[in-house]
Amino acid sequence: MIRNTKNDTLIAYVLIAPFLVIYGLIFVYPTINMFILSFQDAPLISFGPQSAEWTGLDNYTRLPDDRRFGTAFWNTAYFVLLTVIPGTLVALAIALGITRLSGRIQSLVLALFFLPYILPVSVVYRIWDWTLNFQFGIAMHLFDALGIDRIPIFKTSTWFMPAVAFVTIWWTCGFSILLFLAGLRAIPVEFYEAAELDNAGRWTVFRKLTWPLLWPVTALVLTIQLILQLKIFDQVYLFTTGGRPNDNLVMVYYIYQRAFQNDDGGRAAAIAVVLFVMVIVVSVLNFQLLRLAERKT
Amino acid sequence: MAEIALENVSKSFGAVEVIKDISLQVGQGEFVVFLGPSGSGKSTLLRMIAGLETIDRGKLLIGGKECQNLVPGKRNVAMVFQNYALYPHMTVRDNMAFGLRNVGMKEADIAARVEDAGRILEMDALLDRRPSQLSGGQRQRVAIGRAIVKEPAAFLFDEPLSNLDAALRVRTRVELAQLHQRIAATMIYVTHDQTEAMTLADRIVILNDCRIEQIGTPMEVYTYPASRFVAGFVGNPGMNFLDADVSTSGKEASATLGDGSRVAMTISIPDDGAYELGIRPEAVHVTTGEGDTKGEATVVEHLGDRTLVYTRLGDGTSVIALDDGRSQVAPGDVVTLRFDTSQLHLFDSAGRAYHAD
Repeated sequence: MIRNTKNDTLIAYVLIAPFLVIYGLIFVYPTINMFILSFQDAPLISFGPQSAEWTGLDNYTRLPDDRRFGTAFWNTAYFVLLTVIPGTLVALAIALGITRLSGRIQSLVLALFFLPYILPVSVVYRIWDWTLNFQFGIAMHLFDALGIDRIPIFKTSTWFMPAVAFVTIWWTCGFSILLFLAGLRAIPVEFYEAAELDNAGRWTVFRKLTWPLLWPVTALVLTIQLILQLKIFDQVYLFTTGGRPNDNLVMVYYIYQRAFQNDDGGRAAAIAVVLFVMVIVVSVLNFQLLRLAERKT
Repeated sequence: MAEIALENVSKSFGAVEVIKDISLQVGQGEFVVFLGPSGSGKSTLLRMIAGLETIDRGKLLIGGKECQNLVPGKRNVAMVFQNYALYPHMTVRDNMAFGLRNVGMKEADIAARVEDAGRILEMDALLDRRPSQLSGGQRQRVAIGRAIVKEPAAFLFDEPLSNLDAALRVRTRVELAQLHQRIAATMIYVTHDQTEAMTLADRIVILNDCRIEQIGTPMEVYTYPASRFVAGFVGNPGMNFLDADVSTSGKEASATLGDGSRVAMTISIPDDGAYELGIRPEAVHVTTGEGDTKGEATVVEHLGDRTLVYTRLGDGTSVIALDDGRSQVAPGDVVTLRFDTSQLHLFDSAGRAYHAD
């Protein structure tokens, strides 16, 4: 069949046009405005030439001395440390367990581990608030029974981040498990049979076969997790309500405070730009490092 | 002494019996081929010897040691997989060294063995490459090399040539035969390709329907098939089968074929009656003189050195005859066929074989 290429091109443009318009309108345009806003002293709403004042790099130069920014930065880093690698390892361990099961039991166990992932964050918050609440949480009754002093987990800054990190891993690891399972299934069974004949014990098989062969998937999971956890907001927002929000600040939460509570659009935009750059630098760096490691093994 | 012995071995997958009461002895240095169609159980039997499948009942002895309950690594066998199963992230050297490192062998000894294997298989230059940088034939060699370095009591091959193209398959087959002569190791080789079986084997074990049909040297299996199945399975083109009514007087028998022609032969059979008469194409000659029957040529295949003439007898039975390379027979010709009666076989309704003297 002879095709009219000019027509085809036209159809292609028509088909992608709705996406391009929406993408431009709600992503590209606001992003450009955010960069512009970050050099201005302006409120978030009613921003425009009449209310904005150009301040150059002021919004950025003020950040190092901003105590709340420091808290948000280090809390985010701490949270990433507590979730990304532990969450990936937990997902890997669970996926390794699930592959050993078979048939319906496997599907059932996988479903159970995946279930939290489909919950909205508000439900996740409710579940864990009921569990860990200082006054009526189920876990506290357990503490009482064991003779341990009750801990106001979400009210102390020592426990807050680890607890939120734990809940986050519980909530999000279902997806990582799925990725790992797909990766594990892609490893031909003959490799394991050959390894059996090669006298490899379980640990050797994992260290010398499964781990290196699964490395591309692990790198992917780590990168996805890293980007996701750098953007942490909802869990912290919900769990910190009625607690000590200023001690538990994370980057996005601080942006939210500046933008929507203080109506300080310029400074919020500057922090957002910093986070944007952080996400890009860290994830690109992460992915490159992981690829390098893969080549070495 | 038998290097590998199976004694009344059986296996089931759930309710399906896949290996039925098999006994077999493989001698030291012997090259034994398991030949059979898909689903005959040949691969399963090999995997049972390797330890990749459990043995439900019966005994497995390797080098005189009972092995049916040992893990694969403790059986002192090495296996070459159909798709090679080379570890993709390791170099050729590491692929071969992996099994040796796992048993704690000294690095210097490992290096020596790997170099040796590299020399034997003429792949010294490939040792530092990854499997993805090798051709199919080279990967095949690495897989064999990985087996050689272990210096096992027996090599197990699971259809190792089936992933190679035709020309390479022939070359590798010859190399395998040379390798066997050189290292004189016990080898068990699974294939559904009868050419591989005929050319490589000291003895062929023909499997069908989860049991052994016949064990014998390639020529025994070819010349004296133990059953109708073996007769039909071995040989290419396959044996001709014709319905025959056989009557005997002493050892002299006369078979009446479907088209009414009679074939006389010397054979011992228990009863007169209906048999299937089997004869290989090379024992059916196209002749201008006196013959046993006549047929119409339907297809003539000139293979250069010989010609296959596909004929149809008066009753519609198909018979393939062999003529010499310069055969003048053309499709549609009616040709006279002469049977070499010393190469006749009769098969009873149970598939048992009787061979003409």
